[in-house]
Amino acid sequence: MRIGTARQDYITDEALFDTTTQRVWMAVFLAVLVAYPFVANDYWLYLACLVAIHVASATGLNILTGYTGLVSLGQAAFMGLGAYTVAVLETRYGTPFLFNLFAGGVVAMVGGIIVGVPSLRVKGLYLAIATIAASFIAHFLFVNLGFTGGTGGLSVPPATVFGLALDTSFRIYWLIMPVTILMVLGAANLFRTRVGRAFIAIRDRDISAEVLGIPLLRYKLLSFALSSFYAGVAGGLWAYFFRVVTPESFPLLLSIFFLAAIIVGGMGSILGAILGAIFMTMVPEVLRLVVGWLPIEGDTLQYVAPVRTIVFGLLIILFLIFEPHGLAEVWRRIRRFFHLWPFRT
Amino acid sequence: MNRKLSLSGLVRRLVLPMSLAAVAASGAALAQSKEDIVIGGSIPMSGVFAFAGVGIHAGMGDYVKMLNDAGGIEGRKVRYVPEDTAYKVDVSVAAFKKITSQNNVNLYYGDSTGFSKTINPELERAGNILMTGASFATEINDPEKFPSQFLVGPDYTEMFGILLNYIAKEKPGAKVAFVFSDSEFGRDPIDESRALAKSLGLTVATEIMTPAGSVDVSTEVLKLRRANPDYTIFHGYILAPIPEFISQGKQMGLKSRYMGTFWTMDNSTVMRMGEDADGFMGVMPFRYYYDDAKDAPMLDKIRAMRPEYQSTAYTQGFLAAMLLTEAAKRTLAAGKELTGVNMKAALNSIENFDTGGLIGVPITIKGNSLPVGRIYRADYSQKKMVPASDWIVLD
Repeated sequence: MRIGTARQDYITDEALFDTTTQRVWMAVFLAVLVAYPFVANDYWLYLACLVAIHVASATGLNILTGYTGLVSLGQAAFMGLGAYTVAVLETRYGTPFLFNLFAGGVVAMVGGIIVGVPSLRVKGLYLAIATIAASFIAHFLFVNLGFTGGTGGLSVPPATVFGLALDTSFRIYWLIMPVTILMVLGAANLFRTRVGRAFIAIRDRDISAEVLGIPLLRYKLLSFALSSFYAGVAGGLWAYFFRVVTPESFPLLLSIFFLAAIIVGGMGSILGAILGAIFMTMVPEVLRLVVGWLPIEGDTLQYVAPVRTIVFGLLIILFLIFEPHGLAEVWRRIRRFFHLWPFRT
Repeated sequence: MNRKLSLSGLVRRLVLPMSLAAVAASGAALAQSKEDIVIGGSIPMSGVFAFAGVGIHAGMGDYVKMLNDAGGIEGRKVRYVPEDTAYKVDVSVAAFKKITSQNNVNLYYGDSTGFSKTINPELERAGNILMTGASFATEINDPEKFPSQFLVGPDYTEMFGILLNYIAKEKPGAKVAFVFSDSEFGRDPIDESRALAKSLGLTVATEIMTPAGSVDVSTEVLKLRRANPDYTIFHGYILAPIPEFISQGKQMGLKSRYMGTFWTMDNSTVMRMGEDADGFMGVMPFRYYYDDAKDAPMLDKIRAMRPEYQSTAYTQGFLAAMLLTEAAKRTLAAGKELTGVNMKAALNSIENFDTGGLIGVPITIKGNSLPVGRIYRADYSQKKMVPASDWIVLD
């Protein structure tokens, strides 16, 4: 706890940002996000949008796995459900994009509730295996349902606002980033409520939680529902961003990517999901840039490409060994250092 | 301060700066016209498609070097800017954005069907890039939907068309089996090829779908045996489970001839089947590296540059660079701007074009593909794919 932040009522105690410093930094961060599209080129804007989509989905998985303790490998499938819902609504009915995104979330939520039913009987790795089924079932549906475009998938028209097509990274940024911020804020607020605390109680000891009066059936399924709603909306954003949805767009590997993101970032922490998604998306790109700056002459691409992959893998392993609590803990340690400076922790 | 503006003053203040600006602008335009022609590349140097990406990269690099050594295009150098994609669509798009943000890109090579489809709206919006890539997807072979893209070879349905035409000629009324992977790649040509087989008087005895890269296919081999086809065409795989099918099929006494499509047909890939490779056939739009035909001087040049065997992916990359730059060359020669539409029109003006023997017949590009190929057969004693037919050009 920081010096000089004694809380004198529950409202202060539950506040998302408890000091003026935090609020100022958050305002600066938001200002940077607003200014970012005006200074960044297309490449960096693309990456920002991709990171934001990954943050939204990783935050959803963190609600389920990090906060409720239910390991899921179905996140990509739920994203697929959201993406296909958006694609079908947009191509067939031309409904407004906000409605489509919400519908994408709802369809994924229904999928999540169905897939979450086994969580009442199995936990841990067993549940993870059970959720893998979601990927295969979703893939089968995407290929074989008549309106999903078969193996070729669907091309998605751009989202439009008052006739303006959000067809560039600059324009779509103004859809993706605010939606992601709202979703992250929603998740952060969730854990200030009874529902969020019930999730944490289930994670820490489900039997004790039930003894305390938390109905496991309702809350576990609610966690699945919320998590898959996030995935569905993220999938919808993905559909508007890439403008093509195919059955192969959401492989099992993507679910593993999100699981890795919340582990590397720090499970059970909103900041962890954000940092994890940024790390997993950006490190390969940063390594690409670093490699580009190296003074190596000649055709090095074929030697450098595998090295980049190896370094990325090593970085993940090193993080897990030296900081099992994830990047969020590293961030907290850095903050503590500056809070107490010049004294040491 | 209230001075009268004389004529000479007016000239000095307005006309002179404007003239200087005009001269500067024309100079800039001149400099612009002498800019490098840039070929960007989302190349899968790592990941599951790296086996092809390495060859594609080498082929493109070699052709660009050869072209620059010969003076470039209209005095302009060609610059090849590749990035590794690990064969992931989001990474490929990131590579595209990075390359196009840092360079004035005119031509592009994409690594997958997914990328080709994803980047298509961006190409149409930007309107300044002509693109090809590693995809032979039938869907891309649609000039209406993909006006700035083309395929370096026949699409997968056309590959099946070449194989089925060959079969219909060699054994009229033959029974064929389609074995394909449960993927976009695998399913691509099946529906249209079923109809084509019927129109050629062939019988599709069975269609077997397996997971991509599956290992245990004993149930599927039994199904194949029951159908007892004269020809079995594999598609949507690189290698596995083809050797397993052939080996188990032979053990069960199946007399079927086995065939494959482009990505299976590299010499090194087929020879990895061991002795079971002997007699394996398939469609290949390019000549193999070791082909010493007299009308293939480009292969002589390639062999002089690279004495060791180069894969068919290398030839595909090499030819991709050749066709991309040929389109740019024709556009500039016609005094037109290097836009996607102009370059595509220039590409479609290619008639009876000599690829230096990389393809055994002169090529004409009407739409988005090169519907030409040849049937090759594996000769395991020589460890080589040898021609089994003449070049087949589809209408």
